[in-house]
Amino acid sequence: MISRRVQYEVAGRVTGPILMALQNYQQQRRRRRRSPKDNPFGPPIQCARKMKDLMSIYYYQGRWADGAVPVAWITSGFPVELLRAFGFYSVYPENHGALCAARHMMPELAAVAEDAGYSRDLCAYARTDLGSVLSGNTPLGRIPKPDLVAACSNICQTVLYWFRSIADHLGVPFFVLDTPFVYGDFKQHHLDYVSDQLLELSDVASRISGRIVTEEELLEVNLRAMEGSRLWGECLDISRTCPSPWSSFDHFYHMAPIVTLRGTEACNAYYRELKDELDDRVAKGIGGIKDERHRLLWDNIAIWPKMRDLSRLFATHGFCFVTATYTNAWRESLPFWDPKDWLRSSAKMLSNTILNRDLKNRLRVMTGLIEDFECDGVVLHSDRSCKPYSVGQYDLKGALTRELGVKVAVIEADHADPREYADEQVETRLLAFMESFE
Amino acid sequence: MRELPGKGDDVRREYISQQQRQHGRKVLAVLPIHYPKELLTAMNLLAVELWGPPGKPRGPDAGRIQTYVCAVVRNALAFLASGGADVVDGVLFPHTCDSIQGLATQAPDFGGWGKQVFRFLHPKGDDRPSSRTFIRRELEVLAVELERLTHAPLEPEALGRAIDLHREIHALRARLVDRRRCLPVDDLALYTALRRGEFLWPSDHLGELREAAAVLDDTTAQQGTPVMITGLVPEPMTIFSALDEAGAFVVADDYAAVGRRIVRDYPKSAADPLDTLVDLQFAGPPCSTRTIAQQRRIDVLEQTFDRSGAAGLIIHMIKFCEPELFDVPLIRRRFEAKGVPVLYLESELERELAGQTVTRVEAFVEMLRPVQIQIGSVT
Ligand code: SF4
Ligand code: SF4
Repeated sequence: MISRRVQYEVAGRVTGPILMALQNYQQQRRRRRRSPKDNPFGPPIQCARKMKDLMSIYYYQGRWADGAVPVAWITSGFPVELLRAFGFYSVYPENHGALCAARHMMPELAAVAEDAGYSRDLCAYARTDLGSVLSGNTPLGRIPKPDLVAACSNICQTVLYWFRSIADHLGVPFFVLDTPFVYGDFKQHHLDYVSDQLLELSDVASRISGRIVTEEELLEVNLRAMEGSRLWGECLDISRTCPSPWSSFDHFYHMAPIVTLRGTEACNAYYRELKDELDDRVAKGIGGIKDERHRLLWDNIAIWPKMRDLSRLFATHGFCFVTATYTNAWRESLPFWDPKDWLRSSAKMLSNTILNRDLKNRLRVMTGLIEDFECDGVVLHSDRSCKPYSVGQYDLKGALTRELGVKVAVIEADHADPREYADEQVETRLLAFMESFE
Repeated sequence: MRELPGKGDDVRREYISQQQRQHGRKVLAVLPIHYPKELLTAMNLLAVELWGPPGKPRGPDAGRIQTYVCAVVRNALAFLASGGADVVDGVLFPHTCDSIQGLATQAPDFGGWGKQVFRFLHPKGDDRPSSRTFIRRELEVLAVELERLTHAPLEPEALGRAIDLHREIHALRARLVDRRRCLPVDDLALYTALRRGEFLWPSDHLGELREAAAVLDDTTAQQGTPVMITGLVPEPMTIFSALDEAGAFVVADDYAAVGRRIVRDYPKSAADPLDTLVDLQFAGPPCSTRTIAQQRRIDVLEQTFDRSGAAGLIIHMIKFCEPELFDVPLIRRRFEAKGVPVLYLESELERELAGQTVTRVEAFVEMLRPVQIQIGSVT
């Protein structure tokens, strides 16, 4: 146990950073040899390399986490702050799914899950991750085995079924944090229920980790997490400037720390640095794309396997996504935070996610983003294997067009499964949409 | 072979208006699956379940939801928006899955349903103190909200009586399903009778169940190959004709709409009837939509299978049903490891069984015959 802990710490503090430095050096040499390509984007964000290092070290260290510290596999909306206070290392199967999709490994991994009987109609993240669990194949080299699998229903109920399957397969305890869906206003007994479960979760975390955590310690991690969300929100808000110094495609990429490292100083330090760079770009008039003529809102999860193609297509025609309901989700609950009452305010924050509230709220959030970021168009990604984000989008389209007079396009695709993406069809649809602005 | 009452009955509308006229009852359309029916009965509310309805969507509003969402939800939106449920006074949406959760905001907030709306959020996960406290409050709040319709508060005595009535219904339904071998009717007749409980006033349903139970006959065993079936809802119902023609019958049922809603260990009446309703939430067979530990669900399935003497298992899925689909691999694995033949069928609510599906059912039953003989010789 002690030697495992030493390995884990050395991986995070010494070998990880050295390996990253080495890799960066090699990449820089390769890059120098390449001729600069003419592209429609502004100069790349310098912090991107830092983020890659941060995440790579985190994943690298994770290889030695099991046996060294308690490990939890959790959903993106789960209160990681609480587990962090108990010393847990957290793994995010959704992020892992996105990573596999972005690295074009999805079809191969999904095939393993589909061969095992998981329907192709199920969430593509779930299929990808289950394929990885079943085959042991992952772009991360190795993922630490969990001591706890925990899912929060504040993004969807699919994660409950998916994580339950993982827990069952690995034979580890499964914790459900059930956040009742909010129709209209919050109901007090729903919030009480979430608070009660947070206390039950503390007991579970304490049992697994063998640690007792004081309220002060919990508050400390929470404060750090809120600071991270605040910084992330500030970085996003910089896109209100015209031209926006970065686009939502950049936002998608840079959201990794706020999802996975929330509650750590490394996460906050990263966003401080990123914010400085973005402020600097604003001062110099540098845009995320070279010629920003139209500003758009993106709804739903990114189409990970097609990020490059889509960002280029839009940028070439002078369209910049300046905001997205998806990336906004990691800052939207901040107004509910109350350091004097972490338990109850956490319950409210956890319940307030865009996917845990009704369509009226979604329309309100979208309207606010369109106005605040001065968007003149919206793209709704109708995501085949993500029902909770997609049901109601056709009605949202109608309401946005009617009430705000913005142009709206719906594209049929999938967040991770490239087999559900018809290049030509999507491109034709988007070109027609962009032409309608002329 | 004797017929059970209610076969081929297609008089929901008439029945509803008769209930309204004669008993002054308010009527709620209820989306699948789990909801506190006892509470509704106690408040003199008739529950009429809306499982789609099956068949082609009744109107263009199904197109407001993507085709990759299950037809239960798409058809329900089309049905509500086209005035199909105008005869009822409100809709109750239990918090079953992501798709119903979406429908429960889309129909009232963006058009499709203008009358009253109620939601019932049951806890997810295993039985624990927080979920018990929550469900009790949820029931209390629902009762208060329903007063908007009934204009009368929930009376504890009425709830106590409703619980007793439903306890008897559960017991009779369990008897009919569990002693299927001694019931000299075909599956279609049995399921038609059981599913009439989806819209009949409970005491009417109880009367029909009593009549049905009266034909149970220990001396005449059902002929044919016994199979177990699991899935969400037995639609299209022609699945039973296909089984019948192939020479099989359902000896054990785990449809979420039918067997999985039969509580065999119905809780004893507590001093406070609401406490009984709380116990009831955790007393039924494990259901995927409640996020009960997977192994527990499969264990119960396996025990039911073993008890029933079924020769094979049919997994009958509705396309795009996420909660159920996640359990399929484990069910298959567990049963196949036991050497149990498993047939996986996926049907679409909008269509009748495809000829190809009927052929697969026939081939499966054909394959089971030797298994059945083996089982017969062992027992
Ligand atoms: S992609 Fe959609 S269905 Fe899948 S885990 Fe995320 S929110 Fe849930
Ligand atoms: S997804 Fe499944 S549980 Fe949900 S409404 Fe559709 S058929 Fe029913």
